[in-house]
Amino acid sequence: MSNEYVPRIIGFLCNWCSYTGADLAGTARLKIPASLKVIRVMCSGRIDPLFVLKGFLKGADGIMMMGCHPGDCHYQKGNYNARRRYVMLQNILKILGLEKERIGLWWVSASEAPRYAQVTHEFEEKIKKLGSNPIQEEIFL
Amino acid sequence: MSKALKIKKGVDKGLNDLLEFLLKSKDIKGIFALKKMNENGAVSYSLMTSVDELKKATPLHPLMPVNAGKVLSIFSLKEATKEPVAAVLRPCELRAFIELVKRNQGSLDNLLLISLTCGGVYPLQSLADGNMKKHLPPYWESLKKAEINPDLRVTCQSCEHFIPYLADMTVATVGKKDLDKECTILLNTTKGEDYAKDAPGNIGSEEMETAETEKLKKRREEQNKKIVEDFEKEGLGFKALVKTFSACLACHGCSYACPICYCTLCDFDSKTLEYSPQSFVSELEQKGGLKIPPGNIFFHLGRMSHMAVSCVNCGMCSDVCPVNIPVATVFSRVSLSLQDEFNYLPGKDVEESVPYGVYKEEEFVEIGEQ
Amino acid sequence: MKGKALSAKEGINKAIIDFLKKSLEKKCFDALLIPAKVPETESYAWLLLQDESLLELANPLPPVMTVQGGKALSTVTKHGEMHQSVAAVMRPCEVRAAVELFKLKQNNLENITLISIDCPGTMPLSDYTDNPEKMTKAFENAFDKWGEGDNLRPICQICHKFSLTSLFPPSPQESPSDQNEKDFSASDLHIGLLGGNKEKIFLMPCSTRGTELLEKLELPPQDSLEKWESKVKEIIDKKIKKRNTFNKEWLTKIGGNEKFIAVFDECINCHNCMRVCPICYCQQCYFDSPALNLPPEAYLQRAEKRGALRFPLDTLLFHLGRMSHMVLSCVSCGACEDACPMSIPVAQIFSVIGDQTQKDFNYVPGRNRGEPLPLQVFREDEFSEVEIPSEGEETSTGEAEKNV
Repeated sequence: MSNEYVPRIIGFLCNWCSYTGADLAGTARLKIPASLKVIRVMCSGRIDPLFVLKGFLKGADGIMMMGCHPGDCHYQKGNYNARRRYVMLQNILKILGLEKERIGLWWVSASEAPRYAQVTHEFEEKIKKLGSNPIQEEIFL
Repeated sequence: MSKALKIKKGVDKGLNDLLEFLLKSKDIKGIFALKKMNENGAVSYSLMTSVDELKKATPLHPLMPVNAGKVLSIFSLKEATKEPVAAVLRPCELRAFIELVKRNQGSLDNLLLISLTCGGVYPLQSLADGNMKKHLPPYWESLKKAEINPDLRVTCQSCEHFIPYLADMTVATVGKKDLDKECTILLNTTKGEDYAKDAPGNIGSEEMETAETEKLKKRREEQNKKIVEDFEKEGLGFKALVKTFSACLACHGCSYACPICYCTLCDFDSKTLEYSPQSFVSELEQKGGLKIPPGNIFFHLGRMSHMAVSCVNCGMCSDVCPVNIPVATVFSRVSLSLQDEFNYLPGKDVEESVPYGVYKEEEFVEIGEQ
Repeated sequence: MKGKALSAKEGINKAIIDFLKKSLEKKCFDALLIPAKVPETESYAWLLLQDESLLELANPLPPVMTVQGGKALSTVTKHGEMHQSVAAVMRPCEVRAAVELFKLKQNNLENITLISIDCPGTMPLSDYTDNPEKMTKAFENAFDKWGEGDNLRPICQICHKFSLTSLFPPSPQESPSDQNEKDFSASDLHIGLLGGNKEKIFLMPCSTRGTELLEKLELPPQDSLEKWESKVKEIIDKKIKKRNTFNKEWLTKIGGNEKFIAVFDECINCHNCMRVCPICYCQQCYFDSPALNLPPEAYLQRAEKRGALRFPLDTLLFHLGRMSHMVLSCVSCGACEDACPMSIPVAQIFSVIGDQTQKDFNYVPGRNRGEPLPLQVFREDEFSEVEIPSEGEETSTGEAEKNV
């Protein structure tokens, strides 16, 4: 039994593109990191910045936001809004010196199963290097 | 160069004369301005409809008991006023009101907006400590010299947007050496010019931006740099954030005082974000302990994510904090950077949408494709 | 009444923490709600802890009251019964607020052990924020000269309810309710600090739960509490005298329209006082709700009546309205005054008026869980003096009153 650090990563996947892509990766038997816990939302535009902040403050080691490529959103513009909200979140974390690398946004389409496997593995590697979120220890949050 | 009304009286008296003229001789039904409340220097915004009450107005008093943007929003929330009303408010208050108008929390119709080149205000603590009277002479001195008075609100000391954007009239105060003898009111729009017709005084011309205002702008930029440096020395990182907000009582005074926070029931006061008994148990299992009430940093970061894009750095939040947390400093650091990122200046242009809910197809193209 | 004396030779705080540590170890309760100092700061905050090692941060009597304890307990139990048993260590005013909130159904006291402590008072929050070291020292002095620190919060200087509920007059009357014989005291266990020369603390059970707690810890309440009781009663008498003078002075200071209005000249309508008040529990306060929004013509009309209209509006309506909503349950904790950015003496004013109005109903907020809120019950034959009958008509007490 290895003592290797297993991070806790949450992924918010939009139903029409990225979740379907993840599903395809599963049927294609591609290896996906076990550290990733997927939460399906109908559109990346549904991802309330408070979800990400709450996850981050509750001690998630990494948070992935995924949606359709710009122009391909099932609801036309949800992913554009998601992109702006992501920029806003990154800005807040950057200015306050919080670890903004723990949060990421990827466009993954329904057919891009290999891309899904690739980005999730790369992100897990990055998080493993960063180590566990120091917020997990903090009581006076 | 814009037209300006020049009244041969001290700036206080001159402005009051103009307000009286607007009430008596024009169709203005009421005037929003600071009014004297007692002999200690306490003031409160008031909608004055009679000349007698208007005599107690003290619009340039360097105190901000409430952001006037909030006041105008209360007034015009249900609908635009059908009767014309004038309001005297500082540049950040005007910007806050414009941000509220963009969010359907008020209307600009039938409002005559009178602002000023702003020398800043004192923290409310100065009034609570009984020091307002002694602060007034040095305040006017620094104003005349376009210098930064060190006792002002921290946000005022570093504010670069002290020249109003969307005012109909602007009272020139910064760097005006003759404030005791002459009152200069720039007429920025046709509306302003119309209302100034036949007003007591002479029509001349004046620049909004002068060598003196440039001087103050540079000084404030320097001050801002200093504040950023201090913040980056001590305020960065997660542990520093927890320390900064360690004394927070979760009173949410900062949110209620903020003009941009207009929600009738804030998310962070609603049932959605309250903890269930199960959440307490699981957090106890995970960490062994947690602060009560929980979610302190979450409230501040969450509020930031909601309103920082429209933050006008007025500093009301720091003033109402019972435990002197430098909320305005933290929020202004984030908001200035965020507004830069979106190339957005809150309150500059009422037609410019708030950066949420709008987007460009070709922007931030590198994001998401890595 | 008997209690259990514990040695406090290494300090009162240590004695209390040791007692709580033992209770946690013996699983008398699963978790503890107690004030703690945030590491590397001078700030205090409530801590809900399960891990014993966190007790090293705990301080049962900090020099300031930050969040009101009754409100903190409400946060934990508002949405239902705690699945684990929790002991909450609070000042008497915080326990009384918790009891009032219990009556208002804003907390759930199943699985909760309320532990109160004799309270010397606290320092004003703004003074402490400006100079924590100086105020901590001043607090320690106030501890030594119990009840005589003159830099304590004014509301604490006149507080006679700093100890066990049943000791302060008027003694609990029979409640006009048909509650069963269940034990309805305020706290379950009280820790007395006075009368032991700072070398002893006294644990006294006030309910079945408290008795069971001491039994489990094998600390039978067999010691005399005479010295404690006499010292407490001595200080209560002093404080009551102070309070009566204080109340009289304030009623003169704020009596009448002009004087009362002037108190709120500097009020900026931030509503901090309402939000930190433990009794004010409404999710959305009426005075923040859309009920008070009007169209601009209405504001102009109101302004024209007297020539001016103060904005934000209804300053006095807010304060008097809030008073009418909560003053019968006001426990004089002073959280409101600590939170006011303009240093308006809200706590002192509300406390004075609370005393006067609670007297009429013979009601002491928080002394007894079974005692119903005065406005929730009535008797048919009471307060006939406020009824003004017409000629010859009988009042509710059956007497024909002359037309007054």
